Formats: sequence, structure tokens, C-alpha cells
Amino acid sequence: MEFKTQQIEDVTLIHVKGRIDHRTAKDFENALKPHLDECIAGDFKKILMDMGEVDFMTSAGLRVLMIAAKTCKTCDKEKGEIAVAALQPLIKEIFKISRFDLILKVFTTVQSGLENMSSTSAGAKK
Amino acid sequence: MATNTGSFQGLAFMTTIRLPAKPESLEKLIEAISGFAETAGYPRGKIGEIELVMEEVLVNISNYAYPECSGEVEIRFHLKNETTLILEILDHGIPFDPFSLSEPSISADLSDRKVGGLGVFFIRKVADSIRYRRDGEFNVLTLTFSK
Repeated sequence: MEFKTQQIEDVTLIHVKGRIDHRTAKDFENALKPHLDECIAGDFKKILMDMGEVDFMTSAGLRVLMIAAKTCKTCDKEKGEIAVAALQPLIKEIFKISRFDLILKVFTTVQSGLENMSSTSAGAKK
Repeated sequence: MATNTGSFQGLAFMTTIRLPAKPESLEKLIEAISGFAETAGYPRGKIGEIELVMEEVLVNISNYAYPECSGEVEIRFHLKNETTLILEILDHGIPFDPFSLSEPSISADLSDRKVGGLGVFFIRKVADSIRYRRDGEFNVLTLTFSK
């Protein structure tokens, strides 16, 4: 798996690439950890994950997302936010089946995610 | 190790794979079944669903059927009426009926949602049909996927 992080205004945008399954879920968890640790430490965090290049995810990946969402919510009920954008068809389907739209905000595109999460960040993205 | 008693025209013939029931076997298993489904003309999206279910099944067997020891899993598959992939998964571990588990409460709020329990849920929701039986020493799970 590959991860690339960009800070766009107050939104941490994480580009995720690859399959998130039983074998790679730990890598995914490790990639999110430093951001969640900041959240636990009391920092104001908005995390948006660009899933446009993730074409496969199993329950192992959803488990990581669930823990991340719970961590975010614990750290700041009002302002801690975690969201995903640009879901591929299979991921969209498993989100629908498992009602993960109740767990995380889901945006059709990265741009719309940025626009929603930060009023100033959308224009900053190349 | 896979043995196919049929040729390309004979996707209706049974293919059997026997592997150690551990997550490391997934790659070989998925490669074999995806290749079969592709040859049978399944669309990419459907193959993704089959891969998802197969991963959840194998991880489940590894965790629940053989929690303290290693064992094997046997997968038999064939195409019925050129339109339906039928998969039979056998293990000789602890009896485990996926229907015995209650469904996770997916409509609950984040704070009330439990972490985990989605693997079996996906198997039940994504496969077109699922049947479990205990046959002597074996758990036998039969799954079908239509094109």
C-alpha cells in the first residue's frame, strides 16, 4: 500500500493507494496512527482520506476506519472529523451494506470533501 | 494444489484446491477463483465481490475453526448452467455455523457500534446464496454467485 499526506489549510488529506485487506490493514492502521495520536493529544484534526485508488477493501479495512472514527470522536465531539472521498464501486457497496455512512462522512470527490470540511482549503488544492 | 477434471469448455467440471487454512493462502486462493470467474465471463465488479467473500471466509475459518491449531481448507468450485459459480468450502475444524451469529447493529450510532463482526455479515449479504451444514467431521459452506 502507499500513502501520501498533504496538509491543505486545516485538513489533513491522505491519499491511499492499494488493497486494504487482512494482509495490509496493519499498514493502513499505522499510516493513520500519527494523525490519530495528534487527535488524542488534543489537537484539532480534520482528516480526509482520498480513496480513489483503493479498489478493494474487506472488513479488516472497515475495522481500522471504525477505530479511527471512534478515536476522532472521543478526542473532540464538536470539531474532530474524519471523512472519506472518491470511493470505488466495491468500496461504495460495502459502505452501503454496512451503513458506514453513519460512521464517517462520505464525499463523492476529494474536492467536495475539502470544500465541505474547510471553507478555505478547496481553492488551495492544485 | 489444484486439479481440474475439465477443459475450458468444461467450467462445469469441479475444480478442487486444498490449502493451509491461514491468511497467507489467500493470494493463491483468490488467484485461482478470480481466474476461473474471469474465464467464465464474470464482470470485474462481481469478481471483486467474490474475492471479498473468499477472504472473509478464509480468515473466519482460520480464526474460528482452527483457533489453536493449523488445518486445511478445501475449496471446490464449478460453473452451473454457464451463469452461476458454485463454491463449496470445507474444513475439519470446530463446528462453526455462520448463521448462528447475530447480525451487527449497523444502524446504531458510532458510539454504540461494535468494532468487528462485519466479516460474516459481508459473506451473508454479498453472496447470492449461502448454506451451511456439518457433514461428519467437516464444516461445509456452499456459496453461489450469479453473473
